[in-house]
Amino acid sequence: MASLIPCPHCGKRPKEEFTVKGAVLDRPAADATPNAWMDYVYLRDNPRGRYDEYWHHTSGCRRWLVITRDTATHEIEASRDAALARE
Amino acid sequence: MTSYRLESGGLIDRQSRLSFTFDGKRMLGFAGDSLASALLANGCQLVGRSFKYHRPRGILTAGAAEPNALMTIGQGGRTEPNTRATMQELYQGLEAASQNRWPSLDFDIGSFNSLLSPFLGAGFYYKTFMWPAAFWEKVYEPFIRKAAGLGKASYEKDPDTYEKAWAHCDLLLIGAGPTGLAAALTAGRSGARVILVDEQSMIGGSLLSDTARIGEASATDFVLTAKAELESLSNVTILTRTTAFGWYDGNVFGAVERVQKHVAIPNAKAPVERLWRIVAKQALLATGAEERPLVFGGNDIPGVMMATAMRSYLNRYGVAPGRQVAIFTTNDSGYALALDLEARGIVPVAIVDSRAGGNPAYTGKARIVKGAVVSDAKGGKALSSIVILKDGRTENLKVDALAMSGGFSPVIHLACHRGGKPVWSDAEAAFLAPQQLNGLQIAGAALSTGNGIAACLSEGAAKAAVLVSEMGFACTAASFGAVEGDMSARPEKPLWSVPGVKGKAFVDYQNDVTRKDLGLAVREGYGHVELAKRYTTSGMATDQGKLSNINAIGLLAEARGISPGDVGTTTFRPFYTPVSFGALAGAYHGTHFQPVRKSPLHEWAKKTGAVFVETGLWYRSSWFPRDGESTWRESVDREVLNIRKNAGLCDVSMLGKIEICGKDSAEFLNRVYSNAFLKLPVGKARYGLMLREDGMIYDDGTTSRLSDEHFFMTTTTAYAAGVMNHLEFCAQALWPDLDVRLASSTDQWAQMAIAGPKARTTLEKIVEEDISNAAFPFLAAKEVSLCGGQLHGRLFRISFSGELAFELAVPAGFGESIADALMEAGREHGIQPYGVEALGVLRIEKGHVTHNEINGTVVPGDLGFGKMVSQAKPDFIGKAMVGREGLVSADRPQLVGVLPLDPKTSFRSGSHILAKGAAATLENDQGYITSSAYSPHVGSTIGLALVKSGSTRHGEEVLVWNGLREEFTPARLCNPVFVDQANEKLHV
Amino acid sequence: MSEFRITLRPALGSVTSIVSENIALTPLPEGHVVHVLGKPGDEALAKRLGSLSDGSAHAVRAAGPGQWFIVGNAAKSHADMTALFEALKPDAYGVDQSQGRVRMLASGPMVERMLAKGTAVDLSLTQFPLGHSTTSVIGHIAAHLTRVADDAFEIMVLRGFAESLWDDLAHMSAEFA
Repeated sequence: MASLIPCPHCGKRPKEEFTVKGAVLDRPAADATPNAWMDYVYLRDNPRGRYDEYWHHTSGCRRWLVITRDTATHEIEASRDAALARE
Repeated sequence: MTSYRLESGGLIDRQSRLSFTFDGKRMLGFAGDSLASALLANGCQLVGRSFKYHRPRGILTAGAAEPNALMTIGQGGRTEPNTRATMQELYQGLEAASQNRWPSLDFDIGSFNSLLSPFLGAGFYYKTFMWPAAFWEKVYEPFIRKAAGLGKASYEKDPDTYEKAWAHCDLLLIGAGPTGLAAALTAGRSGARVILVDEQSMIGGSLLSDTARIGEASATDFVLTAKAELESLSNVTILTRTTAFGWYDGNVFGAVERVQKHVAIPNAKAPVERLWRIVAKQALLATGAEERPLVFGGNDIPGVMMATAMRSYLNRYGVAPGRQVAIFTTNDSGYALALDLEARGIVPVAIVDSRAGGNPAYTGKARIVKGAVVSDAKGGKALSSIVILKDGRTENLKVDALAMSGGFSPVIHLACHRGGKPVWSDAEAAFLAPQQLNGLQIAGAALSTGNGIAACLSEGAAKAAVLVSEMGFACTAASFGAVEGDMSARPEKPLWSVPGVKGKAFVDYQNDVTRKDLGLAVREGYGHVELAKRYTTSGMATDQGKLSNINAIGLLAEARGISPGDVGTTTFRPFYTPVSFGALAGAYHGTHFQPVRKSPLHEWAKKTGAVFVETGLWYRSSWFPRDGESTWRESVDREVLNIRKNAGLCDVSMLGKIEICGKDSAEFLNRVYSNAFLKLPVGKARYGLMLREDGMIYDDGTTSRLSDEHFFMTTTTAYAAGVMNHLEFCAQALWPDLDVRLASSTDQWAQMAIAGPKARTTLEKIVEEDISNAAFPFLAAKEVSLCGGQLHGRLFRISFSGELAFELAVPAGFGESIADALMEAGREHGIQPYGVEALGVLRIEKGHVTHNEINGTVVPGDLGFGKMVSQAKPDFIGKAMVGREGLVSADRPQLVGVLPLDPKTSFRSGSHILAKGAAATLENDQGYITSSAYSPHVGSTIGLALVKSGSTRHGEEVLVWNGLREEFTPARLCNPVFVDQANEKLHV
Repeated sequence: MSEFRITLRPALGSVTSIVSENIALTPLPEGHVVHVLGKPGDEALAKRLGSLSDGSAHAVRAAGPGQWFIVGNAAKSHADMTALFEALKPDAYGVDQSQGRVRMLASGPMVERMLAKGTAVDLSLTQFPLGHSTTSVIGHIAAHLTRVADDAFEIMVLRGFAESLWDDLAHMSAEFA
């Protein structure tokens, strides 16, 4: 029926405006070991509770966000711009 | 005797008579009546047949929990089954029909099921329909399907419209009874944005059925005064006829407003139902409490009714339940009813109170039987007598109506929709909402069933004051005068098992679940609340057990010797009451089902005779039939041959287009493509491969450098949105340090492919610049001036067909005009429009790949693009994984061409390749045809395929096998390029 | 001069405006829409953009971090557009979206109620003041909204979706029209 995702730029918006990509992981260096790349591309934690995910505000400001979501309750603890969060 | 209308009283307009029909019989009611009250006023107490045993059923409640009085309302496409008569407002001309009976409500053949009831107990279906297995589909399923269900939906199209809407507020109040009204007045006066929703046609809730006086005014006048004030406040929105049905993430509440379900002919411009999604900073649940039935024999006979419901019919609708009324109660609720009945001249023949002490405060005239129960009610289609059991002795009493009250359960459904579990309270003898809910508080009788009107008013006001004060509004709790006649019913010890029961004692009325069924479930090992629900079907009907669940839990608890809290509840999920599919779909059906995306050349294609095909949301031109062509193949073959001989014009506006700007644009492209882009010169286009991190190809397209810091990328139509998202991810999340800025310009440009030997001579009439082969060679790209400088566009010398070809992009609104001009310019050269079918044939002939080949399983090497994977670049998406052992092995599926040995034979895409002579088995599978088409150039079907080690097997004879159609086509693997293998045409 | 006369086909050329006391819906001229690609947080650029617009009210609209639209009812010549792009440098890049985005005006006392049938954005004046812009979905279509008066919003949408969005808005307006 409805679920709102807080966008740091646009405010709370329905999830239909977003595209979710999944876990926030650091991309390994190009020369990292094959195992590091296997982990990055294929392996995912499946935690019950707090989880950092990439969400894209596709039908809004078109920014990629890092959303900290509780997978059990769907409560969202934090939402920040993926690029600006790094600076 | 039966129920009847009193001479006076009630909130009905006796001047406004409404005629309606029930099962074809004409009846009269008044404006303000519900269908249920009007039926009772007409003495109609038998209103339906039960689900399993087809027992006669009457009206049990006056509200949303009604399990019995389910009717089919309306005709044709407006037919609405399973409508609760208690919730349906009466309107002139309403047509209602009873359900689940044949041939008539009065004489129903299905009622013989009752005689079979010893065999139809809990688990009957599971036990009976087990074997033989051959009977499952042929015998049992049709039988169950015939027996299942209540009303029947119409197959006709619903003529009405529905819509969805969003609303926002500081405080949402759910329920407009005393608690909700006090809260609304308090918060409304503070200036906070308030939304007050109530499922009834008017606000007031239980006050509308109450005879108490509040500050000298009658309860009804109090409501009317409050209504006037609330309506004068612009920050308060009142939504009546609106059921808040669910609580969702982000403190969004779902509600359905029945905008025009109470009128005979809806205004066609407005919806009949509106689905609200209400975003609330805070919400207050003021939904009150539901009275519980008592589980005695014959507790379903028409004439047996909830005590509060009987009070509603009496006070709100001016309908008396009968002349000899008895009351069976476990608490003080029955006495409030007794006093109201006496005030209307109907002295109850008995109040049977299970408590030894009864109600000492009662001063009325009715006979009180304390410490007693009604063990059985008797009668067929109408109640005739009851059996009172006291101290082991029975007494038969003639009655025509019986009210019952087994205590109250707070209506806490919404509070449990986000994972919270109800908590049993011995003190309240009820399940209460979970504590500490974020964004939702509970007040009034929904919090404590003992809260009377005064307590509800003060609590609603106080809680609202706190909530809006915390938001920064200056607010004090509204206060109200003294309440006179406040008959609150203290919680009492529940009476789950009534002693001495002889007849069928129903727990779940709608699903015909009896006390015995629950006992059986426990004995057979299905005593867990979730198992018992499924074993007995208790709580699984359209009412979702609003009346039955707590009684069922109480009985399970007793049978298992544990507390109801230890039995627990099943999970509360939306919707609180059924919501129509119409409301859930809203306006999004038919032509509004999904958006249509139109190319800027859509009108041009239409007037040029295109046959359109839906691809995603786009409408694309498939082919352009001409007079005399009777099949699509004729048109497509003509278009293809004409391009190879003359010229063609195709709308390629749907390709994704992305502007890439910034000082690091070249570096950025170098990282998102597998091939090199850093040194792409200004004025040049390059074909690029975009990989995923796992090394598989994601998308392909051309990117042109328009200036040092400005590139123009095209993507495939299907992946346009995905590639844009991906690039933004790379730019923002992976490499925010790069100066790169992206904008989708797909819709800015009308883009046309002009292909064929005469393409240049055609274009030269439009384009001002020199586009000779020397000045504008293959893969040139630049901004050009058109038609004497009237317009500027972008010209690219790229080819999908393998012919001399260009793509011209012009500002979208001028696309049609330019296409017209090109057709005019090319007329003497034989230019023709072509569609995506011809485009497909041309690219297969040239061995160009699309997402048929780039299907998520191929790496560049598989398609012969090994050299497009840069070894020199330090990093790009997919670099780390594309070189994995399995992705470079020699027996990878590789792109090849396929030709039938006999040109008269053909094969289909998806067919598999077998080595010559090999049996048609999965083990022998060598690969599959990814694309196929009839090539008028070659003169036979041709195909592209991904075949094991394919690049080294050109010339090998194989068998193309379509296992679904059992088609076998001998064929030969070959070079995937069927025209101009030397690429000479591209460069002329 | 070329033998071909180039003419514009407006995306909403065939629709009929809705004119009523409570709600009005009308297409706006296909003038200019310039997508400004700046850097998130570049406040100086934001201030500079007004002087690059045609000076009409709400000509510069926020479009996410570091991005704006400069819009106007008059079409810009190729030379003017090129000059604007030059003026944006070096802080920002301009992309011509004059034909890629279609603007329409919804107005009237019921405009918030009408748009609330499509968008989850809180459009009340206190939450969405004059001149405020955002992108949101209206129904199933993403669109850029700007409040241009207490009871008027401009809606800008991808050209390919313009007709579809118009149909949806007309449907949403029906009960007030």
